[in-house]
Amino acid sequence: MLLRFVTRRLAVAIIQLIGISLFVFFMIRILPADPVARLVGLNATKEAYDLAAHNLGLDQPWGQQLLNYLGIYSNRPGDGVLQGDLGDSWVTSAPILEELVRFLPITLEFITYALLIAFLIAVPMAMAAATKPGKTADRVTFVWGLFAGAQPEFWWGLMFVFFFFFQFHEWGFPSAPAPLGRLNPMVSEPHTITGFILIDSLLAGNFRAFLDGAHHLMLPVFTLVFVVSGAIIKMLRQNMIRVLQSDYILYARSAGLPSRQVGFYAMRAAMAPAMTLVGIFYGFLLGGAVPIELIYSLGGIGEYSIRSILAFDYPAIQGTVLIIAMVSLLIYLVIDILHAAIDPRVTF
Amino acid sequence: MTITPGPQVAATADASGVVVIPKRRRIDIWRKYKEEKLFAFGCTMVAIMLLLALCEILHLELGLPTRITPYDPNFATGNVSVPPPPLADWPGLLVDTIFNGAKPPHWFGTDNSGLDVFSRTIAAPRTDMTIALVAALVSMLLGTFVGLICGFYRNIATEVVMRISDLLQSFPVFITAMVLVALSGRQVWNIVLALAIVYAPIFVRLTRAEVMSQSVRGYVESARAVGNPEWKVAFRHVLPNSLIPSLIQVSSTIGFAILLTSGLSFVGAGVRPPTPEWGLMISLGAPQIILGEWWQSIFPGVAISLTVFSFAAVGHGLEEDYG
Amino acid sequence: MSVQEIVRPAAASNLVMEARNVTVRFPIEDAPEVTAVNNFSIQIKPGEFIGIMGEPGCGKSVAAQALLGLVRPPGYLASGEVLFQGHDLLKMDPEESRKLRGKDIGMIVQNPRYSLHPMYRVGQQIAKVYRAHNPVTKQEAWDHAIAMLRMVGINDPERRANAYAHELSSGMAQRVLIAIALSSKPKLLIADEPTSGLDVTIQAQFLDQMWENVRQTNAAVVLVTQDLGIVANYCDRVLIMHKGSVVEQADVHSFFRSPNHEYSRAILALQREETSEERNTREVKVDSTSKPLIKVDKLTKLFPIRRSESKVHAVDGASFEIRPGECLGLVGESGSGKTTAGRCLLRLVEPTSGDIFYRDLNLSKLTRDEFRKKRDKLQIVFQDPLDSLNPRWTVEQCLMEPLNLHSTMTAEQKRARMQELMQLVGIDPGQIHALPKEMSAGRQQRVSIARAIATNPDFIVLDEPTSALTPETTAEIIRLLMDLSRKLGIAYLFISHDLTTVKYICHRVVVMYLGQVVEVGTKDQVFNTPAHPYAKALLSSHLFPNVENRRVDRAVRETLQGEIPSPITERLPKGCYLYGRCPSQKDRCKAEKQELKTIGDGRQVRCWRVAEGDLPIEVAVGH
Repeated sequence: MLLRFVTRRLAVAIIQLIGISLFVFFMIRILPADPVARLVGLNATKEAYDLAAHNLGLDQPWGQQLLNYLGIYSNRPGDGVLQGDLGDSWVTSAPILEELVRFLPITLEFITYALLIAFLIAVPMAMAAATKPGKTADRVTFVWGLFAGAQPEFWWGLMFVFFFFFQFHEWGFPSAPAPLGRLNPMVSEPHTITGFILIDSLLAGNFRAFLDGAHHLMLPVFTLVFVVSGAIIKMLRQNMIRVLQSDYILYARSAGLPSRQVGFYAMRAAMAPAMTLVGIFYGFLLGGAVPIELIYSLGGIGEYSIRSILAFDYPAIQGTVLIIAMVSLLIYLVIDILHAAIDPRVTF
Repeated sequence: MTITPGPQVAATADASGVVVIPKRRRIDIWRKYKEEKLFAFGCTMVAIMLLLALCEILHLELGLPTRITPYDPNFATGNVSVPPPPLADWPGLLVDTIFNGAKPPHWFGTDNSGLDVFSRTIAAPRTDMTIALVAALVSMLLGTFVGLICGFYRNIATEVVMRISDLLQSFPVFITAMVLVALSGRQVWNIVLALAIVYAPIFVRLTRAEVMSQSVRGYVESARAVGNPEWKVAFRHVLPNSLIPSLIQVSSTIGFAILLTSGLSFVGAGVRPPTPEWGLMISLGAPQIILGEWWQSIFPGVAISLTVFSFAAVGHGLEEDYG
Repeated sequence: MSVQEIVRPAAASNLVMEARNVTVRFPIEDAPEVTAVNNFSIQIKPGEFIGIMGEPGCGKSVAAQALLGLVRPPGYLASGEVLFQGHDLLKMDPEESRKLRGKDIGMIVQNPRYSLHPMYRVGQQIAKVYRAHNPVTKQEAWDHAIAMLRMVGINDPERRANAYAHELSSGMAQRVLIAIALSSKPKLLIADEPTSGLDVTIQAQFLDQMWENVRQTNAAVVLVTQDLGIVANYCDRVLIMHKGSVVEQADVHSFFRSPNHEYSRAILALQREETSEERNTREVKVDSTSKPLIKVDKLTKLFPIRRSESKVHAVDGASFEIRPGECLGLVGESGSGKTTAGRCLLRLVEPTSGDIFYRDLNLSKLTRDEFRKKRDKLQIVFQDPLDSLNPRWTVEQCLMEPLNLHSTMTAEQKRARMQELMQLVGIDPGQIHALPKEMSAGRQQRVSIARAIATNPDFIVLDEPTSALTPETTAEIIRLLMDLSRKLGIAYLFISHDLTTVKYICHRVVVMYLGQVVEVGTKDQVFNTPAHPYAKALLSSHLFPNVENRRVDRAVRETLQGEIPSPITERLPKGCYLYGRCPSQKDRCKAEKQELKTIGDGRQVRCWRVAEGDLPIEVAVGH
């Protein structure tokens, strides 16, 4: 059952990825940007321009460019996507896949922590709100959910930097680190295994790096939790209220189940749909955490993508979108499997 | 799962056969405004922002004397990085400005190229509100129409359209918007178009789902049985009853569009400087933050935060009554 | 407060429960509070079967829940006391009253599938309730759950205990609820419309089972219902509620014989009129030799199943005729295809094959647009009155629509016609601008009927027009329909599962089972001497509100085994569709397809045993 579900979902995912690739490929070529001019500068001679265009393969018709990108009937050296090669960046000349493998875990790490923490905060808050609707806890949770559900996260990030770094420093409090990366330059970076700095430093037994990494992750994670928790709380609260009014909770009460048991009944039913929301956030933040990465100079995949986009680096844009879409689809799959594990109505 | 409402509330028919249900109709928006603080706050803020945008647009496009900013939001004053006056001085300064005709102070300070932050903050709605409103409306009109057709006529063609819409929706929103805007030249109307493309699939999905659930309702079958042709069933019966989810969604979409517009400027993929735009102002002030020059970024941020919250509050209020 | 302090003298009496002056109120935003239950009092003796009857919203369910000390928020108990074994449930410590609920007082409710938690196995849910009240281990509780499932008549309880609510049919889920309710041998069982939404044969199975179970344990039962048939056939005593108050309390026999309260007489109207002069003057005399108005020939509708070769056989070769002015009843349980057949007739669903003749015109050969122009003569009234009116349209807009589409009248004439229609169906002219949700269900249905007759049709399909209505309103609508038929000469196809109304209004009856017509005959033939085994079981299971022949008093309570198979190609029985459930089946039935054959007295029956005289036709026991 599970295996068949996973295979079917993966098959669908591959079709989606092909669709996304084609879409991005043509979208960036339809838009009126001139990557060659961006590379050689506006004052370049016609010859230099043509040479650059030839070197990038942009002198070919779109159909041939697509074949080169895919790696079938290619008339250029090097493999294509179908061989697992995303090509080289036009700006850094480094293989894109390698760069993405380096940058992706950075983003994954901080959004994973943020979503976990946000979920852990949201559950008790939503519970408290829903069990006594209309009371203070509920009002606070409600306004918070509405407020933090849509906020300029980049601005809050800046405010936190100003407050916890600049002001705390001024006041002589122990302050947050400067928003300049994942580790203090004085701390030796642990050898990369998973790419998650906290996990790698633990694996290497490098506690100094662990503490410093946690210190540097503190503010970016806090910023994300701040903006994400609102929506999760809002949804959990609505679910809980709906579930508590449901026929099966009323029936459980009339059958004389102890209130603790009724609480469990309600929790389980309210939790399942909220997990889907967490999955959607994952996908959204993978590409949407760009401003926060920029503020804290984390150097994740978001920062990589904005750099590539502003430089009109076509292969890098294509690669980034493809990888982000792939990771999102995998996460959705995992969430769906978890969802099915707690809700038997979801069938594979 | 369905929740059966308490049967006691469901129907209390009096002798004349008229069911007493607390009515909610158009007129109630006004009552809601008077009774619910949050909704009232949202509506007021939205109105203020619209007014600010309108003043600035009328001045720029028609040359009317409606500009209310104390300084030209696009021209530097020569006073660089002036902090705002201390709060205690504000009453005196206000009196001086209004009654004694003194030169207005830089209420919110100036940025490091000498632009007046207050003038720019209240001039920015012309950019942010225009982009967000037009983008949300275009995506709603487009999405509702496509959603109606795809939900009402179920065949291979509409199935394909749905798949494309789903594919668009599965794109990482922020990156798609960055690509669309950056590669098409960072003009205001390109941003509007990019946002409309990014948000349209939501409306397609919402409308289609609603159309599909309305289509199996009895009144649709009745409309056919009475002898309506299909297009009349779709446009006269199903469409008016399927608009509510989209109308509720449009309010929060405007909010999200403001966030996205300013977010794009913040990362350098939005409008070009020196356009007065909140995200751009925050971005220009960002490097100064760790030097302690907080005023350049804080005011536009408060403006975004309040505006987006207001749209969320209005959307929530509408959802509560009509969702 | 401890239990001792609130012991009352009433403990001495041998009542199971006594409620005194219970009042429940609901605060409503922007409106005065609604008193849902007003001074409700009841005395329940051991082993007694009490019915509480009333229309939706009369407060009967709220009263039943209040007997447990529960009110759905935001309602609250304003006053009164509920004495159970001398203790007042309403003043008891919440933990004390919790211990009583589910142990000494069991409850079953309507919507059984939504009342079970969707994510726990039903066996677990029974076991959890049992463990909440009894000091047993998990394993013991599980074993008890299986024993309970067996007791309530579930086949293969070990397997069913592992099922989830969504995997069960409504009838099965209702049995699970009763297993939960009876698991700790309660002294009182409160059943809140336990069979609403169940088919008649399943309803009879279930109520019989419940009856058996409570008789074994000598528990008292409070049964909340709006079905007169259930009250007449199972209850000893009945309380009638109207607008929150008990208006009549009587022994069932005397209640049906001579109801005291005006409201009671209104809900009993149809039954009391059935044989009266009044009905006979309403009835249209049909010329049985006249040419059929509508002729349906081998009508078949198969719905394809996604990603599958097999199909849902909704209607399977149905044939029947309707004469001008006639009312033909089409009866059967859910899944019998009666509704789809009605839809196919008007091509709201396109038939897969078969012909439909309207006079001499073959409707199934017309293009959709040609057919659309014929809709002024062929109309339909749907089951759910609120749902079948556009929620944003006023009465005026609803009634103008057919006139705008089909007539060439001037605006002035249309207006006059609309006034005339409103008068015909009895809608107050003051309601012309009312929206559907502002009217009662009865009014809504009148608007639907007015819309249907607006263009002077010859024929109207009535698809369960009264099943969403209260008994009182049902009587009014049925009378209206008969009057309209007499005045305007309209023929009806009356689709219904409610045999009581069919018996009142129809001339002839078609019985359907699994998409097939199994019996066609006059009303008297089908109701008095049903021939087909399915028709017999259906009539026997149907609870006619007749206290002289109560189901519980019968020696043999005839019903069908098991549930209706799903009408999917490969799951349909090979031979007779009733094979496996039929009490009269023989080996030959297993493989032999059955044909509809005309028998001696002129009716048609789809059963070889009847056709060959192998199965005698007897007077039905149903009424």
